[in-house]
Amino acid sequence: MVNCSICGRPAVYIMKAGGKAYCEHHFLRYFDKKVRKTIRKYQMFREKEHIVIAVSGGKDSLALLHYLNKLSKRVPGWRISALLIDEGIQGYRDRTIKDFLRIVDELSIEYRIVSFKEEIGYTLDEIVKIGMDKGLPYLPCSYCGVFRRYLLNKAAREMGGSVLATAHNLDDIIQTYLLNIIQNNWDKIPKLAPASKGPFHPKFVRRVKPFYEILEKETTLYAILNNLYPEFIECPYAIHSVRWSIRRYINELEEKHPGTKYSLIRSLLNIIEILDKLGYGKDGVIGTCSICGEPSSNNVCRACMFKRELGILT
Amino acid sequence: MWCRVLAIRVRFADGTAKELNVNGISIRELFKILNLLLEEYIVVVKSHVVTEDYIVKDGDELVLYPVVSGG
Repeated sequence: MVNCSICGRPAVYIMKAGGKAYCEHHFLRYFDKKVRKTIRKYQMFREKEHIVIAVSGGKDSLALLHYLNKLSKRVPGWRISALLIDEGIQGYRDRTIKDFLRIVDELSIEYRIVSFKEEIGYTLDEIVKIGMDKGLPYLPCSYCGVFRRYLLNKAAREMGGSVLATAHNLDDIIQTYLLNIIQNNWDKIPKLAPASKGPFHPKFVRRVKPFYEILEKETTLYAILNNLYPEFIECPYAIHSVRWSIRRYINELEEKHPGTKYSLIRSLLNIIEILDKLGYGKDGVIGTCSICGEPSSNNVCRACMFKRELGILT
Repeated sequence: MWCRVLAIRVRFADGTAKELNVNGISIRELFKILNLLLEEYIVVVKSHVVTEDYIVKDGDELVLYPVVSGG
């Protein structure tokens, strides 16, 4: 049996890339140290912040909510709120909301739930059907991603948030990185930075990813050890995603060659620096959508473009 | 050499389960049989998280928590 490299108790985690193993106690210390280091390194939070945490009810976002709530007890100037976007995916989001409500109630965290139905006028299920009937070429994840980002920013601002924290982990980031390379979307790669960079539109809420350098295996273990792991349920639309093939491929590589994931994140950080110098897309969009008035890097934002194509622009 | 065949149960987080008869093998070897990646699961036995070198025992129930997100 593998034992903890620090105290010799049975290990719960083997960090192959670093050649170390940790028991439950030392894993939680390692996790805390690693997240705090990420937050400091990328200057994610200031002394006084209203941190709005984007929570889906999945294990990673519940872990982030739990972690930042705990950390905030040590920082007097921090206020924590949770924000959940209900896309309206029958049999999926309605079930993850239950896990979300259980945790915000247990931790006594203020929260807001914003739905596609109320804000966009239609649920994602309805939007997907309209898109299919009209023969539009978009996958469900495209509508979902655009409308979610739009609503996260709008709702976080309405909540008075000074920063929006999302639970993207190292695995999520490198998968999106490879996906963007495959799809030749170089302008989207700078958006994968750990914290959004200015100058900012007055209506844009700065975004940060505190789990940027944390492996998904580590966020999952944190969730299990803190009794946060929710009922496992898969999004019915996820099967369409190319991301699943990329994820399997990266995991196979990591298993054969430990450290591959860390190499990929370093590669991404270098590319972002190069693309920044070349003037590729920035996250702190400074333009304004001529239709809805929300921040946009184009004359019309993606959300309004989708609404127009779907025939649901009001 | 006599080898006892052990019966174990592998339960997945989605509620499905598999009964297996295996020799005293490690989780690492079990994952090879099941064609699963260690990167993609955390294994819990009797409410304790175990690592890939854990040797399965007769009557063990292994709960496999997926690391990959559901959405």
